[in-house]
Amino acid sequence: MKTLRMLFRNEHHFDFPAMWRTALVGSAVLVLISVGALVFRGLNLGIEFEGGTAWEVTAPGVSVADTRDALGGTGAESGKIQTLGSDAIRVRADLDTQDEVAVVTATLAELASVDVTDVSVTTVGPSWGDQITSKARNALFWFFIIVAGYIAVRLEWKMAVGALVAVAHDIVISVGVYAIFQFEVTPATVIAFLTIMGYSLYDTIVVYDKVRDVGGRLTVTGRYTYSEMMNQSLNQVLMRSINTSITSVLPVLSMLLIGSVFLGALTLQEFAIALLIGILVGTYSSVFVAASVVAYMKEREAENRAVADKIRAREGESGTRRVSEDDVALAGIPTTRERPSSSGGRTSSSQRSPRGQAAQRGAAAKRTQASARTGQPPKPRKKKKS
Amino acid sequence: MRRQLTYVIGIIAISVAGLAYTFAAGNEPLLGLDLQGGASVVLEPEPLPDGQEITEETLDQAVDIIRNRVDGLGVREPEVTRQGETILVQIPGVDDQQRAIDLVGQTAELRFRPVIEQATFDDEVSFNAALAAIEAGELDGAALTEAQAIVDRWTLTPDAATSEPSVLQERNNPSFQGRIRMGPVPTVLEPEVPGQRLTGEALESAAARFNVQQGWSVAPIFTSGSPGIDDFNVIAAACNAFQPSCPAGRVAIEIDGFVESAPSVNAASFERDQITISGSFTEEEAKDLALALNFGALPLELTPQESRIVSSTLGEDALDAGVLAGLIGVLLVSIYLIAYYRYLGVVAIVSLLISGALLWSIVAWLGASQGLALTLAGVTGLIVSIGVSVDSNVVYFEHLKEDVKGGRTIRSAVERSFPIAYSTIVKANVASLIAAVVLYTLTVGQVRGFALFLGLATVLDLVATYFFMGPVIRILANLDIDLARKPSTYGIPKARDATPESATTGGAS
Repeated sequence: MKTLRMLFRNEHHFDFPAMWRTALVGSAVLVLISVGALVFRGLNLGIEFEGGTAWEVTAPGVSVADTRDALGGTGAESGKIQTLGSDAIRVRADLDTQDEVAVVTATLAELASVDVTDVSVTTVGPSWGDQITSKARNALFWFFIIVAGYIAVRLEWKMAVGALVAVAHDIVISVGVYAIFQFEVTPATVIAFLTIMGYSLYDTIVVYDKVRDVGGRLTVTGRYTYSEMMNQSLNQVLMRSINTSITSVLPVLSMLLIGSVFLGALTLQEFAIALLIGILVGTYSSVFVAASVVAYMKEREAENRAVADKIRAREGESGTRRVSEDDVALAGIPTTRERPSSSGGRTSSSQRSPRGQAAQRGAAAKRTQASARTGQPPKPRKKKKS
Repeated sequence: MRRQLTYVIGIIAISVAGLAYTFAAGNEPLLGLDLQGGASVVLEPEPLPDGQEITEETLDQAVDIIRNRVDGLGVREPEVTRQGETILVQIPGVDDQQRAIDLVGQTAELRFRPVIEQATFDDEVSFNAALAAIEAGELDGAALTEAQAIVDRWTLTPDAATSEPSVLQERNNPSFQGRIRMGPVPTVLEPEVPGQRLTGEALESAAARFNVQQGWSVAPIFTSGSPGIDDFNVIAAACNAFQPSCPAGRVAIEIDGFVESAPSVNAASFERDQITISGSFTEEEAKDLALALNFGALPLELTPQESRIVSSTLGEDALDAGVLAGLIGVLLVSIYLIAYYRYLGVVAIVSLLISGALLWSIVAWLGASQGLALTLAGVTGLIVSIGVSVDSNVVYFEHLKEDVKGGRTIRSAVERSFPIAYSTIVKANVASLIAAVVLYTLTVGQVRGFALFLGLATVLDLVATYFFMGPVIRILANLDIDLARKPSTYGIPKARDATPESATTGGAS
């Protein structure tokens, strides 16, 4: 409860860099397990990828065994037969000629005592799935290239690397879950995996944008290593990540719930499982994977190493220190939109609010809200744009 | 402030106008087959035998011909579209789906047949009487045989062999009197393969023409020799003389078990490029007939790659589930937002409703004008976009809270946070948009539908955030009432005198 209250008040201070090592080991293990499952168990691909036919029919009270008996001799009896919800049957078999399919359709209609047109049938040719898969792979490739380019231009290339590592991490783990539990992979699942990429990127970009924002201000002080600065950013952005994930998870939970109640909503359910896993992993990876990868690379830049050495010489030991309250306040106030790599102790001329006033307000950060209000309310910036 | 107010009023007006237009025009999102039941099939062209490339034109022609065929089945609102190299045929409703699927991809022939007779009103009366009598079981012996003969004479036989007489329906005349009885397809004089009959191979091309006296007509051009004009002239001579093989004096042009046209023959012999089929054609009819003559057979061999028949019960169930899941999702998100952000949460929800209203208008408009159907994949895309839209609000609100915690007044924090938060939101949304565009361009089928709706929702999120959510909060923060000044209104905890750990004080150096 105390932690929750601290989170709500944004008063939490987690030492993320200290957790990174553990987290990365955990991630590596999960990725290994996922890859292992993919290699050794493989994915349970739906007919859309493998070819074949699937039938669905509402048949209250008909069991899997009944269905298998009734289908004897049609070629579908060896297929996969399952119940959906409480009163529907789904049969999947490796048949794709029209005549064979029609026989099974008729048999199922008779079994369920419904009209032939009440049986849903999906037939997919064997080569079609290959095309879909290769198209999706192609799309994925271009997506990675373009997004990497975009992040490199808008943020920086090291962040592009971090974001892609995080996205790949999320996808591998999500796909791994499907391999481990042998959930059926359908086009809906593929869509879900693609959505996961979107979520993961959204979260990661929000984190990076904050890092750049905070970094631009803290780096100029020359008192913090990149990881310490990153830690400060992550603490500031944590609630944002948690809340965006909660608001994203809620509709997904609703889909999962509804999907298990309604029989026609198999797609919803398939989709929701993949998404749920993806959102959770995506939130985790933006804070633990995407951030640590960038921190690792940035700490190796000559400039940042020099700062870190100086600090170590002064403080005597390494480790993540908290950013002091003064600097937190400093970081909370806009000064410059410079790139974090630029240092030199001078503030950029691009700052928009008077620097002196800003620093004063920074120092006044811990005065009460009321006094800040009754004292000298800062005038709202008169900005014509937007 | 005036500008903010203009934005807010503007976007509300646009949303309301959009909804009003949608209702006034009776636009509704067009439901995909997986939501309303029906059949769909993806047809893929086989590579051409001589290794030629399949042109866009050929595919478009194939689409036109398939559309004609499906229309001929009497299916309501069939949808035949090209998706890259493939053709997607969607047939809503539940009657005869299997037959429709079987039929659309077949390469049918164009055939010429001598007409024996066309059904008259008297035929219709006697046919109905005979049929009724047989069904009632009143007849036996000779009377039954006679009645059966009358019924057989006018029963449609679209699948009869080319060597048999058959009864076919005129494509543009679905009534009983549109039935035409005709002889077998004549064999050609110089067959290239044994038993070759007079088919579309004898035709070189056809074009729709217009002149003032006759109006629209169609001019077919036959190839010379045989198979070609020589064979056509044999049947023309027989018909022109009303010989027993062609007592009606007309030649029927058959495609896919339907009669495209059955013109009277008014000469015994024709030059190969001097034939005109005239009649009271409209421009469209003439062009359709020319198209049918040109490509009576599909210009391509098509193989069904994915066929899907969804029963209407399952479809409706899926739709209900999707709608319910969406509503519950919105409800849960709303509760969370209000609990966490208080009045800001309300703004977020209204912002969500605004982008929802715009989205609904656009989806309904796309459905009505572009025939773009909302599938289950699209619905899931929309449900997911609820979360994505709310994300933008969260990014802004958290920035706001942080600024207030950093010592700003609410008013100044609101002013300052928006541009910074919006820049983050744009960056993140552009990444989503890239995903949507790449997926839309490079994939097919369900993934494509999903990408479209996700992309739409992302753009509308940017719009709603910039023109509604941001301005409303600025206006709220500037209101001269107590509510607007209390941090709790914004879900911001009351500031305490000092945070527990803040031991160090002192000015920034």
